[in-house]
Amino acid sequence: MNASSHKSAPLTPARDGASTPVTAVDNRGSNRRGLSSEAFTFIVLLGLIAAMILLSPLVSPSLGGLDQIGAILILSSFLIVVAFGQQMVVLVGGLDLSVASTMTLGGILAFSWMSDSSAALVWTIPVILALTACVGALNGLGVTMLKVPPFIMTLAMGIVVYSVCLGYTGGTPRGQASPYLAQLFSTRIGGVAPILILMFVLIVAASLLQARTAFGRKLYAIGTSPVAAFMAGLKVKRLTIATYAISGAAAGLAGILMVGYAGGATLVMGQPYLMPSIAAIIVGGTSILGGRGIYPNAVAGAVLLTTFSTIISALQIAEAWRTIIYGLLILIAIMALRDEIYMWAGRFKSGSR
Amino acid sequence: MSAIISSPTSRPATKLLSNGTFIVFVIFVVLLGIYAVTQPGALSTSDIRDQLNNTLPLALAAAGGTLVVLTRGFDLSVAGVVALADVLVATQTGEGPLGALAGLGIVLAVGLVVGAINGYLVAYLRLQSIASTLATMIICSGIALLVLDAPGGTVSDFISYSLTGAVGDVVPVAAIIAGVVLIGWLLLRRTNWGHGLYAVGADETAAALAGVATRRVKFLAYVLAGMLYGVAGMMLCALTANGDPNVGTSYLLVVFAAIAIGGTTFSGGRGGIAGTLIGAATLTLLQKVLFSVGVSSFYTGIGQGIAMIIAVLVGGASSHFARGGRS
Repeated sequence: MNASSHKSAPLTPARDGASTPVTAVDNRGSNRRGLSSEAFTFIVLLGLIAAMILLSPLVSPSLGGLDQIGAILILSSFLIVVAFGQQMVVLVGGLDLSVASTMTLGGILAFSWMSDSSAALVWTIPVILALTACVGALNGLGVTMLKVPPFIMTLAMGIVVYSVCLGYTGGTPRGQASPYLAQLFSTRIGGVAPILILMFVLIVAASLLQARTAFGRKLYAIGTSPVAAFMAGLKVKRLTIATYAISGAAAGLAGILMVGYAGGATLVMGQPYLMPSIAAIIVGGTSILGGRGIYPNAVAGAVLLTTFSTIISALQIAEAWRTIIYGLLILIAIMALRDEIYMWAGRFKSGSR
Repeated sequence: MSAIISSPTSRPATKLLSNGTFIVFVIFVVLLGIYAVTQPGALSTSDIRDQLNNTLPLALAAAGGTLVVLTRGFDLSVAGVVALADVLVATQTGEGPLGALAGLGIVLAVGLVVGAINGYLVAYLRLQSIASTLATMIICSGIALLVLDAPGGTVSDFISYSLTGAVGDVVPVAAIIAGVVLIGWLLLRRTNWGHGLYAVGADETAAALAGVATRRVKFLAYVLAGMLYGVAGMMLCALTANGDPNVGTSYLLVVFAAIAIGGTTFSGGRGGIAGTLIGAATLTLLQKVLFSVGVSSFYTGIGQGIAMIIAVLVGGASSHFARGGRS
């Protein structure tokens, strides 16, 4: 959010000035220092997840088995996908509140276009991903070109897209869930659900995109200091729009997958994923102000939240208590990450103005 | 930076434009005109009173959120506190004026406690505001469910009628409450705390160097915000005459829309509650207008979303020019 204020500052672009190498070195240095603490966060989150699963048989004897772990991972996959897009946007200092509606849009289109033909599957998936990416790109255009705050732009886009879904379906989505999508969840390849293999590939690819490509590294530079990134010659606007497009496509993909899992689509199917998508990346140590956070940690955050809600839903307690415990978990997680925030705060103060 | 910080006290005409209040007021008047033309009986006393009553809960909640946004923070706990206050009033208050007073005490206390927790987490522990208030929001929604697990409860006739009625059948109570909040804000803005609020939002480091007690300023902003959310919840309860533990979720995002339309910038340090109150009224009126001009109810969301973006754009452009083209 503070990115927009930085971006609008009057600047003289120095695309090939002497400042370029200095900024680049500066950034890489701070990221490398941060990496070890991010590895630490990852290990802590994995430990928490493992502890929860090991202790879960105490809650209910049916929990804690290998099947259960598989089920939790499958259930996590939607949040993992949505959180990727959310994190890309947050890395450049934005926020995407339209993911819920975009996910619903992806689900509804998949539900009504695919039916049971495999031919339809081949063309609908790229078309839906392209459409949802366009929705995201519109967000990006509004944020960069019109300088609408991300919070408002994506909130308004969410309302518009939801309204389109409502109008398109007339209130009740009609269609048929593709059996091929359902097989992602129902069949097993060597004892593993195909969706988990797909998720593994996606997570590795997404992590590499973030950490090992020039595109990914530039996002960290923008998030850390949009002004410095601009001075270093980065195409800040274009890159920002790209992150929103990725977020849209990720939400669309989550919607498509959800249709395979749930066997249908509803107008509110994306809603339960909006706040958790933000919570997952925050629990994973991503700074909401940009420039800080890695995808493996967001994945761990998503799995942690899903594991936790799966276990507490098995507890024989009222929804009220489950909600309270869930909130406390988020609070504890962010308090545990406090030292890193301190470090970040110190860097922000010295580097931003 | 110094120009921005001092703007609340300098050059009234420029101030009017730069905080966006004037622009959103123009938008509001235009909408009101359209509404008056397309909807018969739109400007009758009872219709105006209904309109004010429908606006007030959102306006109060958004007024609280504005204080936090001015410090460059986000307070998501509004959804939780509104819901919690709503169900508490619906279940814990008695009859008559004393019951209403007890209700007011309860919602103020709840808002104060939650606001103090938020303020402590954000101002003293330096946690990210979205993250900590997301957690307190979820916890408050849980407690609201604990108090009342499904929509229900009752509100005493006294609360219901006195808060939504009119004094002497002329001045709506909602208008008086809004007026009190507005005057309170205009007074607070002139205090050290008020100046500190803008200074912290514009540049926290500079404010700290200039001797502003940044932590206390932020802490107080969250506390006052929480208390306003509490009153918003009570007003909502009086309006619907029952309690609903899930009522907060529908408020969460609209509150921020009202703040933005009212001309308060999310990058902190600019705007104010006056604009927010009109922003909330504009949002509420917009729904009525879209309905009265015959937009199919399926598609009202499209009009709402686009209108939100346009309002923010117009407000942003006007403040850009008001500050002599600097952005």
